[in-house]
Amino acid sequence: MEASHLTDHISRRYNKDIEDLRNSVMTMGGLVEDQLSRAIAAIVSGDSELGLKVASDDYKVNNLEVNIDEECSRILATRSPAASDLRLIVAIIKTITDLERIGDEAEKIGYLASQLAAMDRPSDSYRELKYLGNHVSQMLRAAMNAFARLDVEASLEVVKEDDRVDEEYDAITRQCITFMMEDPRSIRRFMNVTWAARSLERIGDHAKNIGEYVIYMVQGRDIRHTETSDHFESPA
Amino acid sequence: MPESWRKLLVGLTLFLGAGMAIGWLYDRPETGLLIAALIALAWQVRQLLAFDRALRTRNFEAFRYGDGIWEQIFARFVFHSERSLRHKRRYRELLREIRKSTDAMPDGAVVIDTNNEIVMSNRAAKQLAGLRPKKDRGQRVDNILRDPGLTALLQSGDSEASIEIASPVRVGDWLNCRVVPYGADQKMLLLRDVTDRLRLNKMRRDFVANASHELRSPLTVISGYLDSIAEEPEFEEWRMPIAQMQSQAQRMQQIIAELMELSRLESAGRAGTRDVVDVAGLIASSVKAVQSRGTTPAIHVEADRRLKIRGNGTQIESVITNLVSNAARHTPEDGSITVRWEASGKSGLLSVEDTGEGIAAEHIPRLTERFFRVDRGRSRDDGGVGLGLAIVKHILSRHDANLSIDSTPGVGSAFRCEFPKDRVELEETAEAALKSAEG
Repeated sequence: MEASHLTDHISRRYNKDIEDLRNSVMTMGGLVEDQLSRAIAAIVSGDSELGLKVASDDYKVNNLEVNIDEECSRILATRSPAASDLRLIVAIIKTITDLERIGDEAEKIGYLASQLAAMDRPSDSYRELKYLGNHVSQMLRAAMNAFARLDVEASLEVVKEDDRVDEEYDAITRQCITFMMEDPRSIRRFMNVTWAARSLERIGDHAKNIGEYVIYMVQGRDIRHTETSDHFESPA
Repeated sequence: MPESWRKLLVGLTLFLGAGMAIGWLYDRPETGLLIAALIALAWQVRQLLAFDRALRTRNFEAFRYGDGIWEQIFARFVFHSERSLRHKRRYRELLREIRKSTDAMPDGAVVIDTNNEIVMSNRAAKQLAGLRPKKDRGQRVDNILRDPGLTALLQSGDSEASIEIASPVRVGDWLNCRVVPYGADQKMLLLRDVTDRLRLNKMRRDFVANASHELRSPLTVISGYLDSIAEEPEFEEWRMPIAQMQSQAQRMQQIIAELMELSRLESAGRAGTRDVVDVAGLIASSVKAVQSRGTTPAIHVEADRRLKIRGNGTQIESVITNLVSNAARHTPEDGSITVRWEASGKSGLLSVEDTGEGIAAEHIPRLTERFFRVDRGRSRDDGGVGLGLAIVKHILSRHDANLSIDSTPGVGSAFRCEFPKDRVELEETAEAALKSAEG
C-alpha cells in the first residue's frame, strides 16, 4: 500500500539497494516458513528423514542472515539513511534476527520429529501439535505479509494472536503432564512433545516481535512491552 | 469553400461596405469603415467569450450561437465530445466485462511485469493464494507468496515447468503454479487448485503399496509349505501339480516385488547426480546374468567404456536388465541381440536391438503401461511379468531420459534410451586426449 514511498530517492542506485534488501528479507522469510511447515509435517507424519533434512537445511537460513546483515551495515555506512529509511534498516536488522531464531527452533523441531518417529505413535498422530503448528505458521505468514504490505492493522492482529498461542501451549503442557502421570514409561516421549510445543510457542513470540517491528517501521512507534489494548483506542 | 465560410466573408464584406457607404454620405468614409470594423470585432469577441464560458460551465443551452460559422463550430464540438463520451463509456463497459470474466475463472491468474511486480490479479487468485486485487498491485508477487520453489520458478523463466506449493490461505490445499509469457514483456502466473488430484494420486499409490505388502506375507507361507511338500510328496501323481504351484507362486512373488519397486520409484524424486555410473560394466554383468538364466540368442555388446552416466546405479542396471531380458524373450535362438552404449551428439544413447518377432505399430504407445500384453492369448510362461517396461520408463524419467521404440513386425525391434548431456560424462583417457591433441 505504501511500498512506493520507500523508493523515493534521487539516487536510483539507493532505491535499488533498499528494494533488493527488502526482497531478500522476504526471500529469507519464505525459506523460514518453508522450514517450519516441513518440520511440522515431519512431526505429524512421523517422517524422520524429513525431520533430519529440515535440521540440516538450517544453514541456508543462517547464510541469508549473515548476507542481509552485511548489506544493512553497508547501506548504513555508505548512505547514512534518515527517517523512514533508517527505520526500515533497523527493523530489517531486528527482523532477520528473529527469523534466524525461528529457523533454529524449526531445526530443533526437525530433530525432535526424527526422535519421535522412532517411538510409539499416538492414534491421533499429535493432533494438538499439528493445530498449534498450523496456528503458529499462520501467524508467521501474517507477520511476513504485513511486512511486505506495511500493514499496521494486520501486524496488530499478529501481536494479539500470540496470547491465543500461549493458551494452546499451556493446554498441551497440562495434557502432557497428565499423560506422564498416568504412564511413567511414556515420560521420554512426552518430554519430546513438550519440547516441540515449547519451540512452537517461541516461534509465536518471534512472529509477534516481527509484527511489532512492522508497526515501528511504518509509524515510528515502539509498542513493545505495553498493553496491546491501548493501540486499538488510537491507531494513528 | 464551405457554405458557412462564404456566408461569413460575404456578410463581413457587406457590413464593412455598408459602414463605408454611410461614412461616404457624411464625407468621412474611413471613419465609417473603422466604426463598422470595430462593431464586427466586438461582436466576434463576445461570441468567443460566450463560447469559452459555455465550455467551462458545460452549460451549452445558454450559448447563443446564431447561425453561421459559430453554429458550425459549436455543432462539430458537441458532436465530437458526445462521441468520445460514448466511446469512453463503451470502453469502461468492456473493461468491466473483461474484469467480470477473469473473476469468473476458477483458476487464479496474476499478470506480473519483468520485476515480478503484480499488475493485475483476479478473484480466484485472492481465494486461492490471498493476493488482494487492488491493494497488492505493485507488490512483488514472490514477496507475498514466499515459497522458495516459486521464487526459483519465476527466476528460471521456464514456461513449461510447473510446481506445487501449499496454499497460504487454505491449510492443507495445494496449488499448481505455472508462469507463461504474456504480452510484450509481461508474464502471467497461473494458479490451479490440485488438492483433489494429489490426494487421489496418493491414495492410488498407497493402495498399490499396501496391497502388495499385504499379499507378500501369505504368499511366503504358501510357497514355504509348497517347498517342503515338494521334497517328498505323499502321492507320486501330485509331483506335477506341486511343481506348477511352486512356479506360479514364484511368479506371484516376482510380480509383487516389481509392483513394490514401481511404487517406490513413484514416490522417489529425481535421481541424484552425485554418483557416476559405469554403464559399460553394468551392461556386461546384466548380459551375463540374462545368459545364465537359460539359452539365449547371440548377444553382441558395443559399449563405450569412457562414457558414464550421473545417476542411480541400481536403477540403471534395472533398465539394462529389463531391456535385455525382454529382447531375449522375444527373439528366437538363431536370432541376435545388439546392445550399444555410445555418445550421440552431446547426449548418451543406450540401445537394445533384436531380430525378434517385432511389435505392431498400434501397440507401441501402450507398451509401457502396467500389465500390457500385445497378445492377450499368449501364454505367460515366458517369465515376463508385464511390469518391466513400466519400471524402465519410470527410471528413465527420473534420469531426465527419453525412451523411444522402433519396431517392424517380423524384422525386429529397437529400444533406445537417450540421456541428456548434463547427465552424461565423457571420461577423457590419455589415449583420447593424445588423439585430440594431434587432430
